[in-house]
Amino acid sequence: MNPTASRSPVRAPEAGQAARRPVDIVACGAVSPVGLGLAPLAAPGGPGFAVGNGAAEGAGTAEYPPVRVHPAAYDPAGILGRKGLGKLTRTDRLAMSACALALEDAGRTAPADRTGIVLGASVGSAETVLGFLHDTFTQERPYLVSPSDFPGTLMNSAAGRAAIRNRLTGLNATVSGGPLAALHALRYARTALLNGRADRLLAGAAEELSPQAAWMRHGELAPGAALGEGAAVFALDAPGAPHTEAEGAGEPLGRILACSIGFADPAQGSDAPARRLAACVGNALARAGAEPGDVALVAPGGTARAAQAPVERKALHAVFGGRLPQELDAAERLGDTNAAGAALALAAVLARWREEGPDPASGRLALITAVGPDGSVGCLLARRPLPDGPGPDTSRARD
Amino acid sequence: MRERGGRRVAVTGMGAVSSLGMGARAFTAALREGRSGIGPIRQFDPEGFERTLAGEVADFRPHEHLKRITPEEWGRSGRFAAAAAAMAAADAGLAPEAPALRDAASCFGTTNGESQIMEDLAARALEGGAPALGSGHAARADAGGIAAAASAELGLGGEAVVFGTACAAGNYAIAHGYDLVRSGEADAAVCGGADASNRATHAGFHRLGALAEDVPRPFDARRDGIVTAEGGAALLLEPLEDALARGARVYAEVLGYGMTCDAVHMTNPDADSIAECVRLAHADAGVRPGDVGYICAHGTGTRANDSTETAAVRAVFGDRPPPMSSIKSMLGHTMGAAAAFGAVASCAALHEGFLPPTATVRDVDPELGPGADPVPQARPGRPRVVENHGFAFGGNNAITLFGEVRP
Repeated sequence: MNPTASRSPVRAPEAGQAARRPVDIVACGAVSPVGLGLAPLAAPGGPGFAVGNGAAEGAGTAEYPPVRVHPAAYDPAGILGRKGLGKLTRTDRLAMSACALALEDAGRTAPADRTGIVLGASVGSAETVLGFLHDTFTQERPYLVSPSDFPGTLMNSAAGRAAIRNRLTGLNATVSGGPLAALHALRYARTALLNGRADRLLAGAAEELSPQAAWMRHGELAPGAALGEGAAVFALDAPGAPHTEAEGAGEPLGRILACSIGFADPAQGSDAPARRLAACVGNALARAGAEPGDVALVAPGGTARAAQAPVERKALHAVFGGRLPQELDAAERLGDTNAAGAALALAAVLARWREEGPDPASGRLALITAVGPDGSVGCLLARRPLPDGPGPDTSRARD
Repeated sequence: MRERGGRRVAVTGMGAVSSLGMGARAFTAALREGRSGIGPIRQFDPEGFERTLAGEVADFRPHEHLKRITPEEWGRSGRFAAAAAAMAAADAGLAPEAPALRDAASCFGTTNGESQIMEDLAARALEGGAPALGSGHAARADAGGIAAAASAELGLGGEAVVFGTACAAGNYAIAHGYDLVRSGEADAAVCGGADASNRATHAGFHRLGALAEDVPRPFDARRDGIVTAEGGAALLLEPLEDALARGARVYAEVLGYGMTCDAVHMTNPDADSIAECVRLAHADAGVRPGDVGYICAHGTGTRANDSTETAAVRAVFGDRPPPMSSIKSMLGHTMGAAAAFGAVASCAALHEGFLPPTATVRDVDPELGPGADPVPQARPGRPRVVENHGFAFGGNNAITLFGEVRP
């Protein structure tokens, strides 16, 4: 079928106050050092407990910097098939696997031209970019590079290839921004859904742990922390999109109430980013009509990073005072996953909620935060599913 | 003409760091004259390449434009973005840290991010092996620094987001800024694109046989490819109502946008998908094909792009397409900045009343069909709606539409 022949009409978007409505997370695809999917993320223990073939792709050898490294424990061929796998970058494989898993989990219920992909990345595949550059220096002529490697040097390689593989012709975007990349992807996707730009978006982020990426990233680690890799992609649905009505909608994994991202130049004072992050959290809570005390779980993104961990601490202290919610430290288990960090943290939150089952007593809201070295800060506020399904959303009352 | 809800969005400031001049005014004047920004490569060692021309910003002195950030602490793409953003804010009459900018967003598109830093790291690794990649430099390689540099320079507190959607990225950034301001998520946005001339991009297009022998000649019968180029361009977006209330000059209104993904091939353009992108943009903006008075083409100058783009336009506009020119004839292909430069040219066309030229076209390719008008020389014109194209590897298509604002 010609993908452009049957495009659905553009629907009028929501604007203004209505654009603050929550979006449902209906499925998740995750690839991490503890394995595939949400289940291993909820299980106790670190990669050492759950890893099957974790030593894949050369980790632990002299190629890597002298820090602990946790590569993703998965078999890309098992998800994507063997054909064409060699042409994909390491980041492509992670992101495309997570997209495939999310799509399988969500089902193909929205039209292909209203379904899109939004992926966060840092530099794309450091291995491919640096390998390509290496060839320009070492080949007989600088342009005698492999033409088939060229598209893989671009940040949008994974999103473009995932669209081809899954025949998704809707909105397709790639965003960048270090540890903020995943939040940028989720915020952009949310904005796009609420503005009627798509019915369903596969949104998330990926980060690779090639030797090149590891050497580039290891200097930012806190003492004793590990480097990790992985990808998490979420199927997000626009509120009221036709396919959500038709489906009789199953229980979503959770709901994104708000995603607030800001910037404060660290050169203008070392407290500036922490204050800005605290303001972002305040803004997200206000949008959801919630109080700090409603947050039952916080997943800070920067725990494995020397310079960012104190910023995050300070901000969380400013928001919660001495009454910090329970903490979920995804980076402690998975290692620092940079661009994918906030996506894997959200996946770990959803995994825990699914494991616990609906339990209103333990609180409904989770907060995920991220801090970048450049002054970007942000947070995402998610709510666990209600025992009786999504139901009416009282959080809109205060918008 | 508008159907969408939300606030109307105005372009009140423009900035350009280009091979054709510094600032939107110098850039626009050069477009009118049909000047060329293409010259010898100086940003990397061209030895061994058969094609040795690029559109580089030869006289960029960052310290003249950047007052708050230390240029050496950011990559060249970030410096371009920050300088273009500062120009756009000043052009809009907004000083750094002005109240209107306090929570403003910074949205920039790029193809290659901080490509010169990656190139430097690769060169170090040749000598020192992989451990050399761990230099302090590595922390500045992230493409997110491009938008952050602009935010730091202007004291913006909103999100600083970079779009890595290759050569359509400038339009992605403008489209996102538009949605943020329209929906009330932000009260201002500085958005555009930036990329730096670099070895990897030049080598990649060289290897694909996509580099022109001398200058790019979009829509010409003998066009033979692109010329790699660099620069930064930015627009300041704010609610039209606010702009009018403060007596700001309004260059144009952002009317809407469309995006599609080919999902067919990573590098070959797809006419059906581009045509659909045009239709989505028209529907979003509430305009009909007959309303569009000028198209600022993606127009790279490769055989495939220009014929595919023309076919897509004809599929929507029929046998009488509006004039469609390529400013890449003068600038070269500035990659992630290309659509942002196109947006500056589009707004200037609306505001000043002229059509930017395809300055290098000699014999219009007859295969593009009858009635094709690539505007061989700049000429006066009064388009009321302008369509700005940006297409990319990965199958990412993004089209923005700008409209005249009459007092």
